[in-house]
Amino acid sequence: MTQQVQSTKEQIREFVREAAQRKGVTDVTDTLSLVQSGVIDSLGIFRLVSFLEENCKVRIADEEIVGENFETIDDIERFVTTKLSK
Amino acid sequence: MDFSWTEEQQAFRKEVIRFAKQELNDDLIERDHEETFWAEGWKKCAQFGIQGLPVPVEYGGGGADILTTVCALEALGYSCRDNGLLFSINAHMWSSEIPLVSFGTAEQKKKYLPKLVNGDWIGVHAMTEPMSGSDAFSLKTRAERKGDKYVLNGSKTFITNAQLADMIIVFANLDPAKGAAGISAFIVDKGTPGFTISRKLHKMGLRTSPMAELAFVDCEVPVENLLGKEGAGQAIFTASMEWERICILASHLGVMQRLLETSASYATDRKQFGQPIGKFPAVATKIAEMDIRLEASRLLLYKAAWLKSQGKHPLREAAIAKVFASEACIKSALDAIQVHGGYGYMTEFQLERELRDAVSGTIYSGTSEVQKMIIAGLHGL
Repeated sequence: MTQQVQSTKEQIREFVREAAQRKGVTDVTDTLSLVQSGVIDSLGIFRLVSFLEENCKVRIADEEIVGENFETIDDIERFVTTKLSK
Repeated sequence: MDFSWTEEQQAFRKEVIRFAKQELNDDLIERDHEETFWAEGWKKCAQFGIQGLPVPVEYGGGGADILTTVCALEALGYSCRDNGLLFSINAHMWSSEIPLVSFGTAEQKKKYLPKLVNGDWIGVHAMTEPMSGSDAFSLKTRAERKGDKYVLNGSKTFITNAQLADMIIVFANLDPAKGAAGISAFIVDKGTPGFTISRKLHKMGLRTSPMAELAFVDCEVPVENLLGKEGAGQAIFTASMEWERICILASHLGVMQRLLETSASYATDRKQFGQPIGKFPAVATKIAEMDIRLEASRLLLYKAAWLKSQGKHPLREAAIAKVFASEACIKSALDAIQVHGGYGYMTEFQLERELRDAVSGTIYSGTSEVQKMIIAGLHGL
């Protein structure tokens, strides 16, 4: 289980790091606000959703695509692991 | 892979076509000229069940799945020439009903959905502003929490159905420091003090679908009119756009089918140089190309709708379908006019209106350029 959590988080980190690089943001931490820092924009959020659905095998409903689930890497990981545990 | 409609869907499609041909094509040339919305047609569609198609049965809707809804809207586009009326209905369904279905509280759904479904009320969605179009989330309308109310200040433009609105979903930023994450959605009821329709807008096409600018000056809405959570505006808008981009062009498929059939029939009947004009390769090729565009548009749109029905987020597929079908419809409208020659250019043949109506498809719900940005963005660009 621990390994899976680490793996999920690492996948999210990698996706976010690539998105940040394209936006010229270099200092990405697990608590960085991804929307406020400009790393994830209106299009990026759906790329992220598609990425999570594809790689983490979760199904994300429209009403779950809200700030509290996607604000930071920590939030995304918490959201995904909660869904996976259900 | 199964490309067929079920027997039930086919029967429903036939019924929509029968209904629309019989009930929805009165006085269109005059209404288009006068820019008149057809309230009776709206009500007829609601009574038939169109507006309620994607809404759960418990709120008076049809509870139809997205593919059945697409099937019905395609049939409606084929058999109802009033593209403006259909555009108004689509805007109402995808940007008012669907956000309520997905994000509304039980009370909000109970209060609004039955009336939006039965045709008594018309819903409106207010996002675009004079300085924020394609860059929608840079909107300037502000919301401020004051006790048990939110106070809205700002202006909106290009608002479909604005003059008819019984309820409006208004997007405003509660916390501009958070950027797009500060955007929230608020339900503003007709007659709320501080809300006014500031200017009617005149359009090239879709002239039977009203459009106006809206102004909000210290417009107070109760906290229970927040749609979704604070900061959920981005998600609400994007989700409704996803639905809209998949479904709004279903009626374009019907329009393209109608243009194809009308043009093929004319090319068979119209004789020049002693033979039907369709015998000339230059004309026959146009008919074939109209069919190719229609078939390709259908497959793209059905695939996006199918993916959505599987619970996926077909951002790429919806963007591809939107670009292709909207641009195909314009090309086919131009071809239809050309096949009809001088008659095609005349208002009474109702093809010049089809062209004017079709142009907007490459603009609303995100321009073709924005759709291509979405597609390219998914490739890391």
